[in-house]
Parts: sequence; C-alpha cells; structure tokens
Amino acid sequence: MTSTEMRERTPAAPARRRRRRPSGRRLAPYVFVLPFVALFLAFSVYPLIYTFRLSFTAWSGSGPARWVGWDNYTYLLGSDAFWSSLGNSAVLWLLIVPVQVVVALIAAVLLNNAKLRMRGFYRTVALVPFVTPLVAMAQIWIVVFDSDYGAVNRLLGAVGLPEIDWLTSTVWAKPTLALLFLWKTTGFAIVILLSGLQSIPASVYEAAELDGASRTRQLVSITVLLVRRVVLFLVVMQTLAVFQMFAEPYVVTAGGPYGSTTTAGLYLYEHLGRSDLGTGSANSFLLVALVMLVSLLFVRLLRERD
Amino acid sequence: MAVSVIPVRRRDRRRPALGSHVFLIVLTAAFLAPVVWAVLSSLKEPASIITDPLGFDPGTSTLGNYRAMFEDVPIASGFLNTAIVLVLKGGLTLFFAPLAGFAFAKYRFAGQNVIFGAVLLTLMLPTIVLVVPLLLQMRELGWVNTYQALVLPGAVDAFAIFWMRQVIAAVPDELLDAARVDGCGEFRIFVSIVLPVIRPGLAGLAVLTVMNIYNDFVWPVVVTSRESMQTLQVVLATLAQNITGNRIGADFATVWGELLAASSIALIPLLVVFVLLQRHFINGILAGSVKG
Repeated sequence: MTSTEMRERTPAAPARRRRRRPSGRRLAPYVFVLPFVALFLAFSVYPLIYTFRLSFTAWSGSGPARWVGWDNYTYLLGSDAFWSSLGNSAVLWLLIVPVQVVVALIAAVLLNNAKLRMRGFYRTVALVPFVTPLVAMAQIWIVVFDSDYGAVNRLLGAVGLPEIDWLTSTVWAKPTLALLFLWKTTGFAIVILLSGLQSIPASVYEAAELDGASRTRQLVSITVLLVRRVVLFLVVMQTLAVFQMFAEPYVVTAGGPYGSTTTAGLYLYEHLGRSDLGTGSANSFLLVALVMLVSLLFVRLLRERD
Repeated sequence: MAVSVIPVRRRDRRRPALGSHVFLIVLTAAFLAPVVWAVLSSLKEPASIITDPLGFDPGTSTLGNYRAMFEDVPIASGFLNTAIVLVLKGGLTLFFAPLAGFAFAKYRFAGQNVIFGAVLLTLMLPTIVLVVPLLLQMRELGWVNTYQALVLPGAVDAFAIFWMRQVIAAVPDELLDAARVDGCGEFRIFVSIVLPVIRPGLAGLAVLTVMNIYNDFVWPVVVTSRESMQTLQVVLATLAQNITGNRIGADFATVWGELLAASSIALIPLLVVFVLLQRHFINGILAGSVKG
C-alpha cells in the first residue's frame, strides 16, 4: 500500500490491520491542530456564548445579572447615541474609502510602468506609514494639527490660507481622523493594487491597442475591470477597518468634539467604561451583524457588474 | 504572435509623463513628512517646537526631550512588556500556526472541514467584537493585568494558519514520504523537513507577526489597567497624562517635546526591521491580501 493511498483513505475506514506507525499518523493531525482548537474554544467560542447570554441581561460586572430579554437590543436600536456612532463611522467611510481607492489606483497604475525610475523607492516609502505604530502617529497628529501651534496651520498661514480648527470643530475633526487613516493605509492599498495589476498579462493590453483603444480608455476599461477583484478585496477590508476604527478617535479626539468622532468601535468600548456590560454585549452582536451585512452587500454589488 | 510584438514595444517605450512623477513625488513626500517632522522636532528645544514648528537648526539639536521623557514616561517598562509579549505570542504563532497548517495541507482527517471552518470564522470575526466578551472572561479568570491575558487570546493566529496551509501545500509529498520510509515520525517530519523547506514563507510570517504584535493596541489597552503591565502602545496612548502628571505645571512645549520623543523612539525599531527585511515584509503583506 503506497502512502498516498493511505492518506486518501477516509479516517472512518477500518484501521484494524495497521500497526503503530499508521495509527500515529492518524492521530498526528489532531495533535497538530489541538493548540489552535483549544485556544479557539477557550477564547472565541466560550466568550461569544457567554456574551450572547449576557446581551439579554442587565449587569454591571458584579452581583447577579438581571434577565431583561431583548431590552438591550431595543434600547440600542432606539438610542440616538448608537445611531450617531454608526453615522460617524459611515461619514468616515465616505471620507476614506472612495478617496483611497482612487488615489491608490492612480499610484499603482503609474508604478506599474516598467520604465518608471525609482519604482522600488516609491514602493518602499509607500509602506513606511503602514509599519509605523498607529498610536505613535495618533500622538503626532495631535501635535501637527493643533489649532494654535500645529505645523499644518503654520504652513497654511505661511501661504496665506485660513487656519483651520482641525481637532476642535465638529466639521473638521472627522476629516482630520480620515487623513490619519488614509496616511496610514494608502501605501498598503497601493502595494495590493500593484500586485493585482502585475498579474494582468501584457497580451490583454496588446489586444486593446490593436483594436485602437486609446491609452486612457485602456486604463479605465481594462485595468479597472481586471483589478476589480483586488479593488473589491480592498473595499471590503477597509470597510471592516473603518467600522472598527478605535485607536484613532481614542487617542486623537477621545470621541469629541461633541461626540462627532465617536465611531462605532469607540462607542462599543464606552459601554465598558460605564460598566454597562449587557448593553455592551448587545452592541457587539449588532456590530457583527452590521459589518457582515455590509461586506456581503459589497460582494453582491461588485459581482453583479460582471 | 509576431504581430503583437510591435504594439508592446511601442507601449513600453513610452516614458512616464512629468505629471506621473509629480503625483508620485507629492505622495511620497506626504508619506514621509509626518515621520521626518516628528523625529526632527523631537530633537529641538521644546520652546522652538511651538514657536517655529517648520524650522530645524541642526546646530541647536538636543537629546533633552528624550532624557526628560525617560524620567516621566514608563517607556522602558512598555518596551520590556512588548518584548515579552512578542517573544511569547510570536513564538506560539510561529510554531503552532505552521504545525496546524501542516495538518490541514497534508492530512485528511475526520472533522477537518469543521476545524478549518473555525479558522475561517476566526479570520472573519471583527477583532473589536471579541474585546468585550474577552475582557469579561479575563475578569472572571482573574487574568486582568497579566501576561497570559496579553499572550494567549489569538496566540495561534488564524490568518497565519491559513497562510501556512497554502505554503505547506506546495511542499512535494514525495519529500515527506521519503522521510516516512526512513522511519521518521510525523512530528519529526514537520520539524526537520517541512520547517526548513518553508523558510522563506516563515520569514514573511515572522516579520508580519512581529509587526502586528508590536503595533497591537485594542486588546492591550483594554486588558492592562496597571501601568507596570502596559505594552509600549498603551504607554504611548496615555503619554500626555503621564507627562503632565509627573511634571506638575509643565508647559505645552515640554509636554510636546517629550511626546514627540516617545513617539519617535517607538517608530524606530519597526522602521529598521522594515528597511532591513523589506522583501519578507512585502511577501507578508501580499500573502495577507490573498485571504480576501
């Protein structure tokens, strides 16, 4: 019996005649995945079940939990704070994702030109923001965008533009956070899209050129069509990231001014601070449902364009 | 295909227009500016950070901000805690994720699909959603402010398993079978055949894992309330409070100087790793993009 046959045999098949070696081989994969399975059961499944139960109770973290049925869910769905946290995240999404896709696509197309000098340099620098710690950058953002002494306002003043209350006005706080997010992840988006472009065979462009398609039309129709999968991946991933956005508002604005940067992720965390654990649990599940729904929606939308 | 050769050459001969360079240079400058500005400013006299944020005079550069920052901010203990978590959690992921990936790639066993489904589920579950549940669990266990709480949840990273499964699937079966004929046990095969063969993939995974753990913030900030247990990122998040708390009446400039010094010093280790191991980094990032 060759070993390939042995491996393909279903584990349910009788193993009577096998001696020590084969039985060791049947047990091996279970032992190998055991560390993951144990951690998964202990730190994903258990807490999820525990919290799901908790989401139907009122509990402050000590003493007995009181069963309240769907109250936490109906409370959240009827509360302005919950919806405004989702609204803030939605606005941030609008400020971030379309801008990032366009900028990263242009940069990736330019970098895909083999004749471009310093390609490697551009790509390396694009990843610098991606490897810097977000929290450190958030601190630097506070300093750079300070209304009175920040470098950005000083720069604006020097060229005769009006200074802006970047972090202290409800209008500008979101764009300032969006800028931090864009700065941090656009290089990553460029590298991802570039790898998508590089997987397009040159023959596709040749065919288009023979058909007499202009350079711009080539770019738009072929490139966008063929990297659609990569763009879709990017959009879904950044959507998940934006709705979970936590460190940026936590460090830079603490959710202010007037709650204008309290994102869905930060709002979730605030339940902990108020020891409102039942509501926090319910909020977790609402957010999961929402995030999954939005991702599915995007997958559907982009698939229908085929 | 001879016909198509000519258009290809024509396309390739086209040099990028000036506009392309301008776009890329502006973008590059934007990517570098905040980091360069922060590092240079951290070397200035505190007062001039505020009075002259755009200028830099190398003649007056000083390490004063760094000296003061080490006194006021528990940055050393932050680095130490991050290092401990890096070694433990990184070690667990780098050993057990390829091991599980090996099981998924090279064995058929009952329940395989269910268990792999669990890996995929863990991949898709938003991190922030588990934060509340996990914190409650840690409270119950009495693990708040402990290393096990920082290390164990998510220690055998699902994405790492997913990636390593793909990498190991490319290892030829003949290699493993030859070892079996030689009387090699299954675990020995993993350690002495699989691991050496997948070294490039492992290097990419190592770099990505180090980066993720070093920059991790959401979970550490929730589970460490005691200063002595806080990782570097958590220490950084509370910089302003630490500085003003330790220096009563500190002016704006002093706080900013120390804040920039701490942020700069936190940036540097990963940037050095990145520059040295760029290739592995990019491999890791691209592998990360496959998971979608």
